[in-house]
Amino acid sequence: MEEFEAFLNDGGIVEAPDDMPDEYRDAVFTFIEMHANSELMGGLTERDWIPKTPGLRHKMSVVAKTQDEIGHGHLLYMVAADMGVKTRTEMLEDLFDGKSRFHNVFHYQAKTWGDQVAIAFLVDAAALASQQAVFKNCSYGPYRRILKRIISEEGFHMRLGEDRMMRIANGSQVQRDLFQDAINRWFWPSLQLFGPDSKPNDKLLRWHIKSERNEVLRDAWVQKFVPLLQSYGFTIPAPDMKFDETTNRWDVGPIDWEPLKATLAQGGPDSARRISEALSNWQQTAWVREALDAPAPEIAAMT
Amino acid sequence: MATYEVFLKKDGKDEFRHAGALDAANDEIALVMARESYARRAEGNLIWVANRNNIVVGDDAFVGANTDKPHRHHDGKAVAARRKQQREESNPT
Repeated sequence: MEEFEAFLNDGGIVEAPDDMPDEYRDAVFTFIEMHANSELMGGLTERDWIPKTPGLRHKMSVVAKTQDEIGHGHLLYMVAADMGVKTRTEMLEDLFDGKSRFHNVFHYQAKTWGDQVAIAFLVDAAALASQQAVFKNCSYGPYRRILKRIISEEGFHMRLGEDRMMRIANGSQVQRDLFQDAINRWFWPSLQLFGPDSKPNDKLLRWHIKSERNEVLRDAWVQKFVPLLQSYGFTIPAPDMKFDETTNRWDVGPIDWEPLKATLAQGGPDSARRISEALSNWQQTAWVREALDAPAPEIAAMT
Repeated sequence: MATYEVFLKKDGKDEFRHAGALDAANDEIALVMARESYARRAEGNLIWVANRNNIVVGDDAFVGANTDKPHRHHDGKAVAARRKQQREESNPT
């Protein structure tokens, strides 16, 4: 392991067929599996909104985003499966059995179009920031290469989110209230997506999977999005939030980590429904997989 | 299901580059999946997909044997020194 860590510290890149310590393989695999699950669960959430999205232009962009997210899931499951820990089918079965994790934000229900806009803006920005921090210096080559493509697509999902937010902010009082309610619901889950402060001996940092500590990424998100939301005239649902005049920084106050812990154990407000919807989607599409796997029918020669 | 490696070519001038991999039931589906996964927004205009089982791999031990063949190079230093000397002799400052 010491030799392997020296190789990583030296900027070494690990490829799928290479020898690697089991702890490294398991840690990287679990991380990619969770990312893949999150893309799939995110895509399914997005899909729920296709019929309800207002206006054809927005509706088409939601269709495209759904395809993007499901596509990211495909790519990531491929990279994960190539690590030889679980097959894609095993990963999906574990997801539906509640044995593997996906991001906290997909354990909540998106109730209104305002929620959907808040997710596209706040959640996508948080997810993008963590992905960028992995991409920057990731020692597992196949994951880093696939992240490049995913990040480019997440980038315009976020811009799409801000565009929608601008429209809502410039809309009627009803629309503004709808979005303020959404911020009240989604601000804390988005912030919690970064996770609690990284432990001093965090394996993912030591092995150059993550390049930045959770608290640093979380703070950068706060410094960017608190003033941005305020610039549109919205308020932040953090009663203890303070602005430090000397450092020019926002402090959101103490963070309650209990909701995050609940989602990690599949005990979030919408976890059960989300997982069962994902399973029923998998079952409903079984005929497609069966049809593709079936041998081509023999066609009688026409004479 | 088979695993395919996907290669993408941009704008007619760059070479084909490895884009990633995917699982597909057959060649035709692999092409459609490659287009929808790796060339969603004009990232390239030509795609190759190759069944991973058909790729012949030369591993590090095989290819690496060629890293220690200095006789296949010439650093040109001796020749450059001779030319420099000649230039200096014909243009004394």
